[in-house]
Amino acid sequence: MVGAKKQSNLITYIILIAGLLLIILPLYITLVTAFKSNEQSSVSYFTLPNPVYLDSFKEILSSERYYMALGNTVYVTAFVLIGNLIIMPPMSYALARRMPHSRIYRYMYFFLLLGIFIPFQVKMMPLVKLLSTLNMMNPTGMSVLCISSSTCESVFLLVGYMSAIPRDMEEAAYIDGAGTFLTYRTIVFPLLKPMLATVLIRQGLWMWNDFMLPLITLNRSWKYWTLTLFQYNFQTDYAVDYSLTFATFVMSMLPILVFYCFMQKAIIGGLTSGAVKS
Amino acid sequence: MKKASHIGAANRQQNRVFALFTVPGFLLYCAFFITPVIMGIYYSLTDWDGVTRKFNFIGMENYGKLLQNKQFYNSLVFTFQYTILLIFFTVVLAVMLSLLLNRKIKGLAFFRAMYFIPAVLSMLTVGLIFKQLYYHVVPAIGQTLGIEALSQNPLSNSALAIWAILFVNLWQGLPIPTLLFLAGLQGIPSDLYEAAALDGASAWQRFRTITIPFLMPVLSVVLVLTLKSGLMVFDYIMSMTEGGPGTATQSVAYMIYLHGFTQNKYAYSIAEAIVIGIIIALISAVQIYFTNKKKAV
Repeated sequence: MVGAKKQSNLITYIILIAGLLLIILPLYITLVTAFKSNEQSSVSYFTLPNPVYLDSFKEILSSERYYMALGNTVYVTAFVLIGNLIIMPPMSYALARRMPHSRIYRYMYFFLLLGIFIPFQVKMMPLVKLLSTLNMMNPTGMSVLCISSSTCESVFLLVGYMSAIPRDMEEAAYIDGAGTFLTYRTIVFPLLKPMLATVLIRQGLWMWNDFMLPLITLNRSWKYWTLTLFQYNFQTDYAVDYSLTFATFVMSMLPILVFYCFMQKAIIGGLTSGAVKS
Repeated sequence: MKKASHIGAANRQQNRVFALFTVPGFLLYCAFFITPVIMGIYYSLTDWDGVTRKFNFIGMENYGKLLQNKQFYNSLVFTFQYTILLIFFTVVLAVMLSLLLNRKIKGLAFFRAMYFIPAVLSMLTVGLIFKQLYYHVVPAIGQTLGIEALSQNPLSNSALAIWAILFVNLWQGLPIPTLLFLAGLQGIPSDLYEAAALDGASAWQRFRTITIPFLMPVLSVVLVLTLKSGLMVFDYIMSMTEGGPGTATQSVAYMIYLHGFTQNKYAYSIAEAIVIGIIIALISAVQIYFTNKKKAV
């Protein structure tokens, strides 16, 4: 019995380690190719760089476009997260508390959820038209757009969470004479924090990694590029120079990987628990 | 009397604040979500090319045209094929991986952290990386091992391209379903298994009668997520094949983009998007209906 268990554990480990190699190998090749000259890579893709070739990284780190793209990506992500943080929790609070009594709020809730069923492509072309009419084809305009696109998911998750929180604490605050806004700020907002973390992590990763929206709204000038656009446009220009190409991949993945190292638990929790609820 | 009016005033104050809380988000949603959808429905009934000032109202002509278009059906067939394969492999592989991870093994936290890395990367970056690997590295491996199918770039082979894209999608898309299933597995009380084992149930019987029913709620979530990502696949197509070779991997999302932004078939591409939107909404509705039914039973 014990022997059989040990044996099946061994098989488990072998499969898990094979899976691990499958995940690591592409990332490993990306990393070493970026540190090799093209001549070194053409000998073998698998060997470690010898000698280490740094010109590709020097070129990226001296490229204005990389910093611009990094800055734009940070800006867009931060803008959307802050906008979300200001708009969605109070709205969800009002909806969750008024819905049982008020038909208007109930209709509004269903109206806000309608968007879940509408694929992005349906509004993609008119959005570009709308944004260009409003002179919003820039990172700020795209961020405003993304905040409104995130309404459905944020409201759905937050209202669901809010409805499960008992009202006792809020009512105690009201009886003590606190106004609605004060009650929201001191009582409700802190209670919402766990679900808010989930919402913001999902939103943040989506913004950071998104390609389609930047492609259709920001691909006019390199000054507006995000990291995904930077990579996309870069590979069409420099496809032959694979050392440089892979170095752009490394430099684009680096920020999110560093973030993942520090926030691993929160990220995994956010992406999986949010998915279960939606 | 005084107290009642005090409560009334507090209620009025609360109503005002609540209205204030909802209005900004609601207006944003109307302006940048509902408005473009309505604009889109209107434009789909015209012959606008997206550039000129003038355009004509042509009713349902665009819809009639696309229903007779072979390219539209080809894209639909590819997308459905891709989605079905994606759902099948995602569910099978994620359940298998989660069963492995659920064994009481050492280093679980390590494996989980490593397996999750692809999920935080951008689909575009992953697509571009694999495009390079398929182009340079895979043929090198195939030639050394003497496997003929792999000795050239699989993305340039119209029969293999769909599998090559699928592999990348699974490489990146498996972690989240796997962890969802793992959470489902960890919610199963272990005494159920013990009782079943005492009653002489085989491993397969235990899996079928205990594990599968407990995983059903997670399964429906995974189905919804995978369905949507399969039907809307765009980033991988854009970064790896651009619909090629020929039109072998032209997904509907990519076709709409192509028509709308590069070929000036503005109004026509919106009509395509609306038809596909309706198809997706119907599939989701059916899916949600069946999931709710299962919960009731």
